[in-house]
Amino acid sequence: MAPMDQLAVARTRDAADATPDARREVIGAEGLGRRFGTVEALVDVTFTVRQGDFLAIMGPSGSGKTTLLNILSLLDAPTSGSCRLDGIETATLSEADRVVIRREKVGLVFQTFHLIPYLSAVENVMLAQHYHSIADRDEAFAALERVGMGHRADHLPSQLSGGEQQRVCIARALINAPALILADEPTGNLDADNEARVMDLLDSLRHEGRTIVLVTHNPELGARADSILRLQHGRAV
Amino acid sequence: MLLRMLWQSLFEGRRRKALAALTVALSATLVTTLFALSVDVGDKMAREMKSYGSNIRVTPKSETMSLVVGGVDYNPLKDKETLAESDLWKIKDIFWRNNIVGLAPRLTAPVTVQVGGRDGAGKASVIGTYFDQRVPLPDDAQYRTGVRTINPFWEVAGAWPTEPDPDDTAAQVETVLVGAALAERLGVAAGDRLTLAPRGEGVTADPRSVTVSGVLRTGGPEDNAIVAPLALAQALTGLAGRVQAVDVSALTIPENELSSKARRDTGDLTAEQYDSWYCSAYVSSIAHQIEEAIVNAAARPVWQVAAGEGAVIGRIQTLLLVVSLAAVAAAAMGVSALMNTTILERAREIGLMKALGAAGWEIHALFLGEAGLVGLIGGAFGVLCGWGVAQAVGWGVFGSGVDMPLITIPIVLVISVLTVLVGSILPARTITRLHPVEVLHGRA
Repeated sequence: MAPMDQLAVARTRDAADATPDARREVIGAEGLGRRFGTVEALVDVTFTVRQGDFLAIMGPSGSGKTTLLNILSLLDAPTSGSCRLDGIETATLSEADRVVIRREKVGLVFQTFHLIPYLSAVENVMLAQHYHSIADRDEAFAALERVGMGHRADHLPSQLSGGEQQRVCIARALINAPALILADEPTGNLDADNEARVMDLLDSLRHEGRTIVLVTHNPELGARADSILRLQHGRAV
Repeated sequence: MLLRMLWQSLFEGRRRKALAALTVALSATLVTTLFALSVDVGDKMAREMKSYGSNIRVTPKSETMSLVVGGVDYNPLKDKETLAESDLWKIKDIFWRNNIVGLAPRLTAPVTVQVGGRDGAGKASVIGTYFDQRVPLPDDAQYRTGVRTINPFWEVAGAWPTEPDPDDTAAQVETVLVGAALAERLGVAAGDRLTLAPRGEGVTADPRSVTVSGVLRTGGPEDNAIVAPLALAQALTGLAGRVQAVDVSALTIPENELSSKARRDTGDLTAEQYDSWYCSAYVSSIAHQIEEAIVNAAARPVWQVAAGEGAVIGRIQTLLLVVSLAAVAAAAMGVSALMNTTILERAREIGLMKALGAAGWEIHALFLGEAGLVGLIGGAFGVLCGWGVAQAVGWGVFGSGVDMPLITIPIVLVISVLTVLVGSILPARTITRLHPVEVLHGRA
């Protein structure tokens, strides 16, 4: 089945499986591997994430967390194994198809926020809408309200604190109602207060039935997840 | 959204963009200046070249084939074939009338010269011409022309002669110029009185007394002659209202294949080629139109002058084109370096856009759009500066402003935008090659 057909089928299933209890598979990784030359960054990793799960990927530096995250977010492709995202086999997709699936299915939260510096908070959220479908300022504003940033909608990133920027980043990840939210060390650059606020926000999203995969090396944050995938030297342990 | 991003991102990295705009502005200034000059330089240079003399000589048809053996002119129609002075205005009434800078008739009278009260006399020629004579035209009764217009390089030590008004038939010529070599030979200077007696078979005119108003230096045959208002030469030869030849100075465009073909034989031209040639200011087509205007006249381009003008103007225009291309190429390279740095600085932004699902063309559109706007701003600034510089060059070099055609503005703006876009081609490849994972997971 062609990737675009798979996407159409997945959308149809979205409508049919609207109830959170359906617990459909969002990520299905089987024997995932990623080799860079002679270096095996990821070896035979298998796991499943179902709708509403909150999975923490943990491990020391160089354990393969970011490599796995890149594959799950379709920024990279595995060199072996298979990886289904919301029912679509992504391991063999072309770069162009991965772009389409990524903007449809994945919301990304980065450690360093990555907001466009010359766009206001609401415009940064609208940018994700623009690449997905059509920018809608009201919807973008509502997403900012959802993360408690409505009052700062027209501020530039440089006028926001780190915690505020991360909440804008989360609003951007949420705006297109993705099947999966991938957060890469989302509190890594935040102080304790802002770390707590961001984690509370992710918790509340989990309770709403969102599927979240969190990459962290912080055990306290990992403990808040439903399950933990530990990596060491590229292998699940 | 794209337009909003384009506008807001324009102010991102202002210093580099201002530098890029300045680079383009400098190039656009040069291109505008050179374009304006190259469009106007033809006229300007042609006008300047006119200061080196006439480029068309009009004679009676029979005079065009002279037969001179041992210094004796055997032309059987000599002394009979002349042109009517009353027809001269027609030269300034042809299709290319505005390209006729001026004209000056010639009539040569051999005379015996006696200086003041001194004994003895010498032989010389009186060249009658217009100095700055009024020649009434149908649409300009006060039109003035003569050797002072077409030969501005003539030097006179003293004063130019006073010419009688053409409407005053009783007026007498009182003053003449004496060529420098003849003045030395005769020992005359400004203020001396001369008595000019006609010589030659069958000439019965009375001798005339005139005052030398100045000594003339031309570097030509006039240095050995007396140059006088035309009326004096006509009186001395008994050829009232006649001239032997007319020197015409015309603004022309460089000769090309079409004009060369016409020069060989206009009969070889197709109807379309003939129209194109006739309606272009080639020296040959202007000469052709003069022959049409004056019955029994032969107008011949002075090819050495015409060809020289064409070659010089053509080379100047080529030089201006080469300099313009060099300026544009240099600007493109400068912009390329600046754009490359800008794109590298904004690698994370590009990576983010890709991660959010932006198509390659959307990112290219943003950066090339920014580059285009920078080019437009720099180009607009450059057009303004270039206009100013062109005027300065025009006044400084040619003594008059430069007429910059309005078409220069869109042309330079398009060139400026294209310069920046071409300069952005290589940096844009960096966008294509950039992979989000290389820039997005960098830890702060």
